[in-house]
Amino acid sequence: MSHTGNSGESSPASRRRRRSRPPHAQEDRAEEDTAEEETAEEAAGERLRQLDIGDGDDREHNRMIRSQYRELISTVQQNREAMLNSKSNRLTEALEEANRLFDGVCRAREAALDAQFLVIASNIGKEKANELHSEMSAFDSTAFAEDLLTFMGINRTEVEETDDSEDVPGAFLPSDAWRTMGEEASKYFRRAPTFHYMMGSFKSEPPAPKQRIERQKKAGRGKAEQAMPAQLKKMEESHQEATEKEVERILRILQTHFENDPNTPISFFDFVMDPNSFARTVENVFHVSFLIRDGLAKIKLDEDELPIIEPIKPSEGGEEDSRAGVRNQVVISLDQREWKEIIETFQIREAMITPLYENTEEEMETE
Amino acid sequence: MSQRKRSKGLGSSQLTGGEDDFIPTQVERRSQDQVNQKVSELVQFLLVKDQKKIPIKRADMLKNIIREYRDAYSEIVKRADRTLQAVFGLQLVEIDTKRHIYILINNLPRPEGQHLCRDKEKEKMGLLLVILSFIFMKGNSVKDSALWEFLHLLRVYPGKQHSVFGDVRKLVTEEFVRQKYLETTAIPLTDPPEFKYQWGPRAEKETSKKDVLNFVAKMQSKDPTFWASQYSEAEANKATT
Repeated sequence: MSHTGNSGESSPASRRRRRSRPPHAQEDRAEEDTAEEETAEEAAGERLRQLDIGDGDDREHNRMIRSQYRELISTVQQNREAMLNSKSNRLTEALEEANRLFDGVCRAREAALDAQFLVIASNIGKEKANELHSEMSAFDSTAFAEDLLTFMGINRTEVEETDDSEDVPGAFLPSDAWRTMGEEASKYFRRAPTFHYMMGSFKSEPPAPKQRIERQKKAGRGKAEQAMPAQLKKMEESHQEATEKEVERILRILQTHFENDPNTPISFFDFVMDPNSFARTVENVFHVSFLIRDGLAKIKLDEDELPIIEPIKPSEGGEEDSRAGVRNQVVISLDQREWKEIIETFQIREAMITPLYENTEEEMETE
Repeated sequence: MSQRKRSKGLGSSQLTGGEDDFIPTQVERRSQDQVNQKVSELVQFLLVKDQKKIPIKRADMLKNIIREYRDAYSEIVKRADRTLQAVFGLQLVEIDTKRHIYILINNLPRPEGQHLCRDKEKEKMGLLLVILSFIFMKGNSVKDSALWEFLHLLRVYPGKQHSVFGDVRKLVTEEFVRQKYLETTAIPLTDPPEFKYQWGPRAEKETSKKDVLNFVAKMQSKDPTFWASQYSEAEANKATT
């Protein structure tokens, strides 16, 4: 019987066909024969030639043979793994059993079962051969698995409470275990990073620039209004305009004082200092700087080299002064000590710029 | 004038050299700009197609991008590959010369430090490397039962939903196989049918036996030469690639 192994079918017709071929013609399966396989094949071949295809009257006998064969086949299939064990002789034993059974075969029908068994046995034989022929040095996969778990950060001291009976008890695998493994793994692959758009697709929004233009126009208009003399009433309240209002108020104070006494210039320090609050003093200086910037007031030094401040009349203002007078930038620094000194030196008792709000307790403390 | 000459040259080279199964119907005048456009489109197409890591078929390239420029196909593909290499550091590799299937691999040397890729991807790569090492160390081919038995030891079960990988069986038998990282063939004459697993062509290109052996050696704190036959096989393999 040639071991062809190309299909598992064991129909008597195909068996008969195959039997007609010379027994030693074998299809190349490119596997070396083991001793077992050779024995099996030789024995089968011998038997085949000796086979006497008779009528087979003894039905009981034949039925028994068939049942024994089927049992043998079933046993072999179910214990396949055990048979593959290189230490086990079970395959040889099964072959010998089949050999024995074959003696009682005298009809094609039983022989067909014998052929079926032979196919299965040779397959197992081939696998066993494969495992013998493994050219690989011994690789302990269990140890490897243990090492992998260690690498992934398994905690063997803790006992994990799981409802899963399959889990190995007494060891806890952290949730980032495979991420750790993956981090290491990416070093071994030349994997092309996947291409994704960072920001998604671009969606244009035409209305945005229009809004910006509107805002700019408003701001421009506001400034234009401020340049005019301060009597113009402001319609809206806003943060910016709180400052402007304050600046305006200060200007009015300055002008009032000057009107009352046009020939005496006002000492800058007298004007801005608030002996009750350092913070307000600083704010006053800040607001006065706006007046200077906008050309509504000017600071100059008197004979004693002390700064004095006076308002600029709007009619005078503009070109004359700005051409004649040099526009200087000055940075004034003032700390609390200096502030106290100035108040002492100039004997400033009260603020010329009246505060907007009443003193709070907190403000008192900063003095 | 020179443009026309160039494109004609392109056409004629396609007629004589090039692929056998291509019959250019008409050598149309192809301006360099048009060809450049096609090259860019092909580069984008390849990059997007590569997202799922499923190999790209030439037929898809022809149908979606190349279209009427079939006669300039090899030129376009060659230039697309050059662009991918120069701009992205990627390489277009044909893994099946009969059916003309391509993948993109990374051309750059592996950087040290953290890799910027999504966690999900990283985790899958981890599992894949473990599987590939097992297959290699066991002689380049393992039965599915052996593979699952090994993965059992790592708390990965085919029948059970995994907290990280979900349906692991699907991941291994479908996704990795479709991506050509693994190859699975049925073992004949087995009932119920059994399968064996081997390295797929993508695995062959993206990594090497030597790299995998080094990984195993690192995990087990041994020298790669400890496994003599695997080591010599890895060395031989390195020589040929």
